[in-house]
Amino acid sequence: MVTLEKHIKSVKDVLTSEDIIVFEFESSKGKKFAAIYADGLADKQLIGELVAKPLKAAENDANAEDVKKLLASPEVKDCKKAKDAISEISDGNVALFIDGESDFYIIGLKNPPGRTVAEPPTQVTLKGPREGFTEDIKTNLGLVRKRLKSDKLKVKTVKCGERSDTAVALVYLDGVCAKGLPERVEKQIAAHEIDLVPDSSYISQFISGKPRSVFKRNGTSEKPDIFCAKISEGRVGLIVDGSPIALTVPYMLVEDIQAAEDYYALSYRSTITRLLRIFALIIGIFLPAIYVAAQLFKIQIIPFQLLLKVSSSVSGLPVSPSIEMFLTLFVLEVLNEASVRMPKYVGLAMSVVGALVLGDTAVKAGIISTPAIIIIAFSAICLYITPDLVETTTTLRWIYLIVAGSIGPFGIALFTAFLICYLVTEQSYGVPLMAPFAPVIKNDLYDSMVKANLYALKNRPSALRSAQKVRLKTK
Amino acid sequence: MKISVRQICFILLCYNAVSKMLLYPTVLSHYCGRDLLFAALIDFGVQAVVVWAVSFLCSRTDKTFFQLLEGTFGNIFARIIYGLFALFFIAATIVPLCEQKLYVHTIFYDTVPSLLIFLPFFFFSIYAAGKKFTNIGRSADVCMPIFVLSLIFVFSMSVLEIKWSSFMPVLKTPVKDLFGGALGTVFRFVEPCYVLMFMGHFKYKKGDAAKMTISYIGGALTVLLFLFTFYGIYGDIAQSRQFAVSKISLFFPAIDTIGRIDFIALYILEIVMLFALVLNIQLALHCVMKCTGYQNRAVLSLAVNAALIILLLVFDHGFNNLHTFYAKWMWIAFAVFANAIPVLAWTLRRKER
Repeated sequence: MVTLEKHIKSVKDVLTSEDIIVFEFESSKGKKFAAIYADGLADKQLIGELVAKPLKAAENDANAEDVKKLLASPEVKDCKKAKDAISEISDGNVALFIDGESDFYIIGLKNPPGRTVAEPPTQVTLKGPREGFTEDIKTNLGLVRKRLKSDKLKVKTVKCGERSDTAVALVYLDGVCAKGLPERVEKQIAAHEIDLVPDSSYISQFISGKPRSVFKRNGTSEKPDIFCAKISEGRVGLIVDGSPIALTVPYMLVEDIQAAEDYYALSYRSTITRLLRIFALIIGIFLPAIYVAAQLFKIQIIPFQLLLKVSSSVSGLPVSPSIEMFLTLFVLEVLNEASVRMPKYVGLAMSVVGALVLGDTAVKAGIISTPAIIIIAFSAICLYITPDLVETTTTLRWIYLIVAGSIGPFGIALFTAFLICYLVTEQSYGVPLMAPFAPVIKNDLYDSMVKANLYALKNRPSALRSAQKVRLKTK
Repeated sequence: MKISVRQICFILLCYNAVSKMLLYPTVLSHYCGRDLLFAALIDFGVQAVVVWAVSFLCSRTDKTFFQLLEGTFGNIFARIIYGLFALFFIAATIVPLCEQKLYVHTIFYDTVPSLLIFLPFFFFSIYAAGKKFTNIGRSADVCMPIFVLSLIFVFSMSVLEIKWSSFMPVLKTPVKDLFGGALGTVFRFVEPCYVLMFMGHFKYKKGDAAKMTISYIGGALTVLLFLFTFYGIYGDIAQSRQFAVSKISLFFPAIDTIGRIDFIALYILEIVMLFALVLNIQLALHCVMKCTGYQNRAVLSLAVNAALIILLLVFDHGFNNLHTFYAKWMWIAFAVFANAIPVLAWTLRRKER
């Protein structure tokens, strides 16, 4: 026989902070109860409605079994160990102790503060669903379940983070996902011990296998429709509690050229926009480097009329073309960083300062030339066409600029060859990063640079080695 | 399997063609004048037969060339042959390497830079040479579209400038000069060795020998078209025009207004050229590994590339002498390693499929 005081003490000895609330109450027959919860995480109103109210009204001298029947909450779990109670209370649930009973209950009344489902800021679409993931894992899993009602949808939750005890849900379609893949991902996460997992980017590094690489090894999405589409192709999805960014593996570079809208628009239009994205990507990375290389090493590349304009712009500049480009790019990066961090009303003022004071005045003062600003601005716009690749592409733009400024056009060609050589051997969970281009996978090419119509995409991507190849059958 | 037939076909097509677009047309024009196409036909014809012979041998056995040698003559002999092949591949790299250096210095820079500017190539070479056949194959997958697009771009800028009269009258060059030209440029043909080295590393299916031979012929036709364009534009002065690929689009009418936009295509094509050049080094490393049994690719890659850097420094100012030596004498070595040995591989003991 364990007294209520002993129960409370066992919890309070560990969870000593003041936001752990002990709510003691009695039934009409004098039976004592204690509901322990974390203030701000559990729903107080529901505790009153679903737990305290029915128990207070109980007329018999309720034992543990009777109490369970009286509880109006749909999520009630039996528990024996104080350790489990502590973990659940920290997670936002309520532990209900009964005087004289050694067993207790965990009641799922978690309601942590969070935002509602809204359109994700990083993946805005004109056509197609507008729902986005939130920071709450349960909401996110609900958004997935809403779209994949299959009994084959499996969700396996693992914990990561010694102190944060963050839930990571592995979501996959059984029988579609390649055999052994979820286990491999789980093993990879379990191999890491860290105190805190604040965001999915931590898990992203754990599962990448090559955290030092400039290229990521997993897909990211804030939209449940994209996430579900990727899962139904045979990937494993990861939803991390506290993060609106869901991850998917295996990953291919081509994924970031595909946008959600491509699948909702006419395939011809989608092909045009994909080609546009690829050209924009190439221009965004290479344009500043080629401009510098041309000015320093091979002036013939620049058309004569343009050369006259450029030479009149750059004449009298106190710095070399490469330094000038570095400075302009540096200013752009600073402005970019500041505009993301600053409050919106200050950001507006800063845009004016950035555009007028820095841009216009610097040109008028003869510190930076107009072509340099145009090139950097255009490069930035081009790179933001593929937002998921921005981290990689902006880094590459810096590297190319250094290479172009030191070795010239040969350096650009050489570094590109090096990148190709590196990328063709890189893999994400056995899937080549450059698939379907290297190795060429004919079936998958229909959804790469071009976007064929739905009937041409009858099979799942072969590169993913899905257990179930066909996804579209016509009768 | 490490490499696929498709990837070998790409290698035989694009690496074959791209490695013959710098000084080969100039040298051939020097030997044979307007009949350069016939000299090239002789070379390509012989090589195509050898490529077919080796490809067809692949249909008869699953074993690698090393295993065939080992099964017939024993391990020591196989190692010796692979050691000789390693030296052969290094020898086959020297002229294209020096050529590439000169090309880079001429095409990529307005002023002649120092040798140092080319040395970063070896960073790439050290990295790439240490990679396995899978990497070679996948690189070819990427290079193929790059090759096609950039070449179409360059050809489209030059095709209107071809003068048919440059080739008239046909076949007036003495036969001796034609064969002299074919023999003097034979050191640029190593493609049968590629197939020999890839043997046993890919899964052979019926008809693959034909695919590989046709790919090689495709590469040969591309070179012939290129030679035709080059000589068709420059005529008798072609022998003084170095780095043909950079010269054929020079007379494009719009070049004055749009600038040397063809250089962009050439810079893109350079990526394929770099991979074509590195392939010889990769195969040299493969042979060294087989010969010595030492498996540390990084160390071997460093060693092979160090040897090449020394050779490049030695021949930096003596490229003309080196080229003359290769044209005069090295055809023997190339005839043995690139033609005779691949054909003789048929005589090795093998278990039929």
